Parts: sequence; structure tokens; C-alpha cells
Amino acid sequence: MSSIRDLEPAPHIQGIKHFVTYVEVDEILRSRDFRQGSHQESQPFFGDSLLTIDHDRHFQRRRLEAPLFNKLALEYYEREELVPLIGQTLAELKESRGEDGLIRADLCSLLRTMLARISAVTTGIDGVDTSEHTDAFREYVEQLGVGATVEWSTEDHDEVIARILAVRKDFERDFYDASVARRRALIAQYEAGEIERDDLPRDLLTLLYLHWDDEWDEELPIREAALYLVAATQTTTHAVPHIMMHLTEWFEEHPEDRAKAQDRDFLKSAAHEAVRLHLPSPALLRIAVRDVELSNGVKIAKDERVACLFTPANRDPDAFGDDARMYNPYRDSGSLKPWGFAFGGGEHSCIGRTLVTGLSARTDNDEGTDGTLVNIMAALLAAGAQLDPDDPPSYTEMSYHDAYGRFPLVFTNL
Amino acid sequence: MSDSSLYVKIDDKICQGTGYCVRLAPHVFDVQGGLGMVIDRHPRGEQEALLEEVATLCPTRAITY
Repeated sequence: MSSIRDLEPAPHIQGIKHFVTYVEVDEILRSRDFRQGSHQESQPFFGDSLLTIDHDRHFQRRRLEAPLFNKLALEYYEREELVPLIGQTLAELKESRGEDGLIRADLCSLLRTMLARISAVTTGIDGVDTSEHTDAFREYVEQLGVGATVEWSTEDHDEVIARILAVRKDFERDFYDASVARRRALIAQYEAGEIERDDLPRDLLTLLYLHWDDEWDEELPIREAALYLVAATQTTTHAVPHIMMHLTEWFEEHPEDRAKAQDRDFLKSAAHEAVRLHLPSPALLRIAVRDVELSNGVKIAKDERVACLFTPANRDPDAFGDDARMYNPYRDSGSLKPWGFAFGGGEHSCIGRTLVTGLSARTDNDEGTDGTLVNIMAALLAAGAQLDPDDPPSYTEMSYHDAYGRFPLVFTNL
Repeated sequence: MSDSSLYVKIDDKICQGTGYCVRLAPHVFDVQGGLGMVIDRHPRGEQEALLEEVATLCPTRAITY
């Protein structure tokens, strides 16, 4: 199987203008002449969430939620939640050693377990503590992710929406309702002067109920929470199997680089390069809010919906060089972001990007963070993770995404 | 230049010129030619909290100080 594929555009973006060069896509995403045009079908899951609102409303919501990703918060998530959970997840694998002495596991499943708690913490979902509860929560998040990306599903879309709305009801009963009730009670105590602001949890649901806007409908928090739960896991779950595949191939061709398996700068470049080639969202749609003429003379009429295809844009030789379609962890992306459009662009750039890529060191020599990709890859490689020679990985057939559905690993150093 | 130890930078590689920084701190930032620019690279130290908010709010996290 090829580790770099070209996929046909999904049906929902056929029949509209496509933009495929880096320059065109960059111009459209930056422009205030467009608004969000993606997630039309997934409105029941994401309607009026940060993902789907634009301009002033987007600015205000983002200003409310941005502190969830400030430097202190990112350091807390990484050091207190992510790193211990990676270690715990790998340690638990030791109990599943096969009769041949080897430990096997599916990477896709492992990643969802590693990320479950961090998505719960940022969103404000309680009770993700025991392995039984974590498994149940992880399954809910996975199903919510299916609803969130219904446009890309190869199943009947109406059936998917109905099924996942029912799943969401169960999620509310098992996790969400109690989490909201606890936060609303704490906020009431705070407003009554019984506790301090610092005594409140620092998560999305607390922020939303603390700063409630009467223009929001009652279900806005569950939709915003669903966005956070899915987004906090989706990019990393999508990316790490691709990184593992590319690094496996790279180390075979460049054995001298195996010594860099714990070099975090190398892993960061290796991760960004894989994300550039394999985008968690292969396209985003935008709607023109007025008649627009792009710099290259292409005209887009008011209310016209257009598709920005990130995969060809991120493999554009004019942007990333003649070998743009190839994997090269030493690539110098020049004046461009090394991950291209993997986290979108313009005001809709992913609010949680630094959770995934890490936060660059500040000018005052603070250390910053490495992000989920580097931490997970370093731990997997230290544990001797390798592709299972008897059980090759396979791509998902449930979606038009460039994603692995199964990625069996063997661990040789656990 | 004030006696502040703050040193504000925008990473041009990451900046997308959304102008969010200008909305919060127009005395420190501007957008020209589609890119953010720093007009007061050494704001006074007591503005650190504001800069923290600006750096965190920036959709592309292009600002450091």
C-alpha cells in the first residue's frame, strides 16, 4: 500500500469551484470576504459553535475560550494529563503480552485512550477516571466524531445524523448532564460569594455557563462541547499513524537517523511533515459574502460556495518545492508554516493547534511545550513500537478522509 | 522605548493577518499588507497581562513576548 495517496473529492464538494494552489487557498482563508461554508450537514452537532461562526461573533467567542489554551493551561495539560496517560496506557499493555512474548495493539485505539482524559479535562467532562469509564467515554467521543464529519461519511448521511444524535443523548445521560450540573452549582456558589474564582474548574463548560449569553440556545454548550471533545482527539488520532508509517519508511531508507528516535526537534519536524501531507480536514468550504475577485483574476459571486482543497495545496510544488509530494522530515518550508493548512487558516485557524504541535518557546527562554504528536511518538518509539509484520495497517472505508482505520503495532521494548 | 523588559515579536511565517491583536492592543500592533506588525516592540511591563491575552487569542499563535 502507498503511504501517500490522492483521493477523489468527496461527493459534497463536487460541482462547486475548487481551489488547489497554496496561494489561492491562503488568500481565501485570510479574506474577510468569505464566511464559513463547511459543516452544513453537521449543523445539529456543530451549529453556532466556534467552528461555524464568523467575524465579530467568532472574535468574541474565541476571546472567551482562548484562555483554555494559554501557556499555563498547555503546560498543565501536557505535564499533568497527557504524559502520565501515555505512560499509563503503555504500561497497561504489558498485561496483554501474547504467548509468543510480544505485545500487540492497534495504534488507532491506543491513541483514543491516551487522548480521552485530556479532551475531558479541556471540555469539562467529569467521571473519565476508571478504565471502564474511559472506554465508555472514548467510544462516545469516537461516535461524536462520526457525526462531526458526516459530510465525509460513505454511509447514508441522514442515518448517520439520526444515529449519532441518539448516541449524544446517551452521552448526556452518562457523562455530560452531571458535569454541567456540578459546574452550574459551583458557579452559583461563586456568584453568591461563597467561593473564589480560582476555585472554579478551568474548562470550556465552566466558561460558557459563567459567561452565559442570552442569545445562545440551551443546546449550544453541548454542541460546543462536542466540538472540543472531537477536535481535541481527531487531529492527533489521524496524524500519529501517518507519522509512524513515514518514520518507519524513513528509518529503513536512512538507518543513520534511527538514533534520532528520541530527538524531539527531529520528531517535531517529522510530525509536521506528515501532517502537511495527510490533512485531518482535507478541504474546507467558504461562502463569499460579496462579489470577490481573487489576485489571480478568478471571480467568485456573492453567496457562491467554494472548496479549498488542502491536500493539493499542501503538496503544491510552488509552495513546498519540487519534491512537495514526498516525505522529508528535514524539509525547509521557508516562509510557510511547516504544516501548511493542516490547522486551517485565517480567523478559523484551529484554537487547539498548540495542544497538538506544542507552544514555541517564548522569547524569555521559557521552555514551551512539545505537543501531543511529539510526546506520543517519543513514547511509542521508546517502547519499541513497530508495524506488525503479520498484520499490515489498512485505511478506513467509512470515510473519504485520508485516514487509517486499523494500525496494528508490535512493541519490542515494553 | 520604555524601561520595559518585554520584547514583542510576530512570527511572519505563522501570522495570517487576522488583526485580532490590533483589536485588543492597537497601541502595540497594526496590520499592513495583510500581515501583523509590531509598532511598539517594548511596551511597558505592566502590559504583560494584556500581551498574554493577545498572544493566546491570536488564531495562529504568531505572537511572542
